[in-house]
Amino acid sequence: MFFRTPGRVRGRRAGSVLAVALLCVLPRLLWAQAPAPADCALLLSGRVQDHESRLALAGATVVVLETQQATQTEPDGHYHLESLCPGTYHVQVSFIGFASEVSEVRLTVATYRDFRLHPDAVVLKGAVISGQRVAAPTTQATATLSEADLQQTRGQTLGEALQKVNGVTALQTGPGIFKPMIHGLHSNRVTILNNGVRQEGQQWGQEHGPEIDPFLASQLTVVKGAASVRYGSDAVGGVVLVQPRALRDSAGVGGELNLVGMSNNGLGAASGTVEGNLRRLPALSWRTQGTVRKAGTMRAPGYYLKNSGFEEGNFSGAVGWHKPTYGAEVFYSQFNTRIGILPAAHVGNQQDFLLAVARDRPLETTGFSYDIERAYQQVQHDVLKFSGFVKTGNAGRLSTTVAQQVDARDEYDKYRPRNDNRAALDRPALSYTNRTSTAELLWEHRAWRGFTGSVGLAGTYQFNRYADGSRQFIPFYTNYVGGLFWLEQWRQGSWLLEGGLRLDQRDLQVKRATRAGGVFGVEESRFQYTTPAASLGAVYDASTHLTLRLASGLTQRAPAPNERFSDGVHNAQYELGYDLVPGNGPARPETALNLGFTATLHDNPRLNGELTVYQTRIRGFLYQSPILPPVVNIRGVLASWQFQQTDATLRGLDVSGSYQLTARWLLAGKAAMVRGRDTRQDEWLIFMPADRAELSVRYALPNRVGRRLSAGYVQVLGTGVTRQTRVPRNYAERDYRLPPNGYGLLGLEAGTTLHWGRLPLELSVAGANLLNQRYRDYLNRYRYFADEMGRNVTLRLRVPLEFSRAKSAPTP
Amino acid sequence: MKNLLFRSAFLAVLAASPMLTSCSDDNNDTPTPDEENEQITTLRYELTPVGGGTTLTAQYRDVDGDGGAAPVITGLTLAPNTTYTGKLVLLDETKNPAEDISAEVKEEADEHLFLFEATGTNVTVTRTDKDKNNLEVGLETTVQTGAANAAGTTGNLKITLRHQPGTKDGTATPGDTDVAVDFPTAVR
Repeated sequence: MFFRTPGRVRGRRAGSVLAVALLCVLPRLLWAQAPAPADCALLLSGRVQDHESRLALAGATVVVLETQQATQTEPDGHYHLESLCPGTYHVQVSFIGFASEVSEVRLTVATYRDFRLHPDAVVLKGAVISGQRVAAPTTQATATLSEADLQQTRGQTLGEALQKVNGVTALQTGPGIFKPMIHGLHSNRVTILNNGVRQEGQQWGQEHGPEIDPFLASQLTVVKGAASVRYGSDAVGGVVLVQPRALRDSAGVGGELNLVGMSNNGLGAASGTVEGNLRRLPALSWRTQGTVRKAGTMRAPGYYLKNSGFEEGNFSGAVGWHKPTYGAEVFYSQFNTRIGILPAAHVGNQQDFLLAVARDRPLETTGFSYDIERAYQQVQHDVLKFSGFVKTGNAGRLSTTVAQQVDARDEYDKYRPRNDNRAALDRPALSYTNRTSTAELLWEHRAWRGFTGSVGLAGTYQFNRYADGSRQFIPFYTNYVGGLFWLEQWRQGSWLLEGGLRLDQRDLQVKRATRAGGVFGVEESRFQYTTPAASLGAVYDASTHLTLRLASGLTQRAPAPNERFSDGVHNAQYELGYDLVPGNGPARPETALNLGFTATLHDNPRLNGELTVYQTRIRGFLYQSPILPPVVNIRGVLASWQFQQTDATLRGLDVSGSYQLTARWLLAGKAAMVRGRDTRQDEWLIFMPADRAELSVRYALPNRVGRRLSAGYVQVLGTGVTRQTRVPRNYAERDYRLPPNGYGLLGLEAGTTLHWGRLPLELSVAGANLLNQRYRDYLNRYRYFADEMGRNVTLRLRVPLEFSRAKSAPTP
Repeated sequence: MKNLLFRSAFLAVLAASPMLTSCSDDNNDTPTPDEENEQITTLRYELTPVGGGTTLTAQYRDVDGDGGAAPVITGLTLAPNTTYTGKLVLLDETKNPAEDISAEVKEEADEHLFLFEATGTNVTVTRTDKDKNNLEVGLETTVQTGAANAAGTTGNLKITLRHQPGTKDGTATPGDTDVAVDFPTAVR
């Protein structure tokens, strides 16, 4: 990992020296070079944090009052102000929800100054209002669900919660499985980073949700658009960052308890966190967290959906050692879930299948129960992560993340084996294990003449196996990926330019069992790809209230094993990979060109909002479509899907805005549209999200001094989704059922903070689909057979806990 | 100085740690035939005229598993007003030697029920075998044909195997479908 700082003169010492040594030496070299403070070229930089949680504050405003020079902090809380003359200044730091701070800074040399802001109780209520947060300066459209937003999604799966972000929808399978879809792209095109680790589950099914406990996160960030340079070629559609709070760094023990109950399917969820920091060893912090979640039969308007319950049990733990100049952290988490699968999908012959699909409601319905019968999926996902950083003097920061993930997925068919001995073993029909080791080494260099940036190395080793006795669906495969990337940002005045390059080398070895003509054989193949990625973007602060962003990216993505070699039946669906479709050769890599433009109106007293327009052209776009007539096996007919490859153009628009009508009334709305064209066939793409819009009115209840209740609010929410009419030609012959009608849903939510002793209990009640509408969504695979969830009322309670003796434990 | 030394060492460990990840070599294993996974690849319905004559066979056969090559289905052309003795044979030909699933069904006859539904043709199927609870099974049957099909028309015979462990009551309702096969059938 040899790295050349732009413009660095003393290059002769580099090259032959070991990377490690170089990184130790570099800071001194750079430091020696710091410009003489003769002219106005001084740098003021530092970090802005929340004083309580020590979380970095992204997007905080830093202003030098004397010169009116201003900047915003980066995602990690850092800020840089350049071209300052020597002298004494007053620097004001402000961030919504926190008390502004003015501090005197005397500059004679380049200075590093950190700020820790105190949460402001009064302003905090404003921070809850969505759309008013200042986004971090990245060139892509980025949305963040903060703790307050997440609180409204507690109890839901990750994919379901992410639908709160404009432009994000989900591929759904019943009430328990949501796969996030960003701007019409999903699965192998969306990267999820779980606490800094690339989530490597088994994404080979449409009904495989991300194996992540959303209670882990205190913040969810969605990068809408390609971020392939930083996160690899799978990030062509976007990135989801699941970010836990930083480990506690003030002495004491605290935590939080979350309880959720839902009326529709009797869902109960409880999640607790306990964390601490040792008084005698302030560098040492720890956290443990656990979640249980169980839901029974879901109720569609008029009937219960058979076998739609699910259960989940997760836990995690982290220990960290943090010093100002270095730190390390070990994190372990386990995710377990069992999800029932609707039996309506198991049908007899073609006629029965078409009847089942045409039916208004499933033939078999049921009463309420928490039992999960066959068919079901059972998934366990383990993550062990080690991460660490060292500040390489004043020149930057070196960090590493190494993780091992094991994903075990068992899928039980509805049918038991006929043989009693085999049935007694109760083995799954499909039993798959995927092991992935990932590692990343990243060096972020210090701001230098307006440049900040990072260089990184990333590697993945993955292998996928199925157990003896399991059916083959995905073959055995072993995958090596190595990548090198370099990202640089240049800031000048109100401009920020960002460019990056990446190169990935991928080696995929596949061993596939075949039974051509009934004879067992193993077919071995090996594929090697070198895939580049490049990005270029700009951010321009047109005024203090208007930011413009332009992002472009070029990505090549090698096809994933499931896209090529899926073959067989799982959960009563038949799927076939591209390479195995008769007449197809091997799938080619996808080449994607992204363009995105975002205008953000922010920090205005009344009107704020964001507009994003984007276009993604993908040559060799791999997608799944139904096989008609469906595949027949001895049990009858199966809903069947196969991968195809074409050229596609996706264009779209996300618009959101809020208007503060009066001090207490807030009107907010958002809308998203995607237009996907198959440019090779000159027709619309299948399974693109329909247009959707949402409108809400929120009333903040007045606070009365001395009352037990504070931060009360009431919100009415209307959601409208149109019927998807932009579908391929002759649609009746291309899908088993036409796209469902559009729908409108009404929701209501109210919440408050109840002060019980010194404990602030956050309580809320939310009703969804209040009119108990019958509707189906185009992107739900159950839509062929059943309706969506009927009326549902959710009760949520969050209790922050503080056990420290210093605060004389108020827990009653 | 000590601190510098420590930090350098820490840095070295950090830089090296990505290489420490276990690259355990599980690369040599290959898929093996899934002997424990039950499949029915073949269903044969053999009809022998009661008065003697050639045995007619309807067959469903799909040896490469789900998907791939489509199953090969051979239908029936039966003589009018004839009585046949019917025998069902089920095989798993992915195993070597082929596993006789019908023998297994016979052993656990009290958990299985075959259903025969003829549509568009004059064929009546009667189950003649019983399980230990005196409930019909359907591995053995009598088939009675009536008048010939109208010229150019073909009907259908649907054979369904219901697996009803612990719930068999003589009706089709309980349990799951293990087999559902359609045979084009005509009486000529």
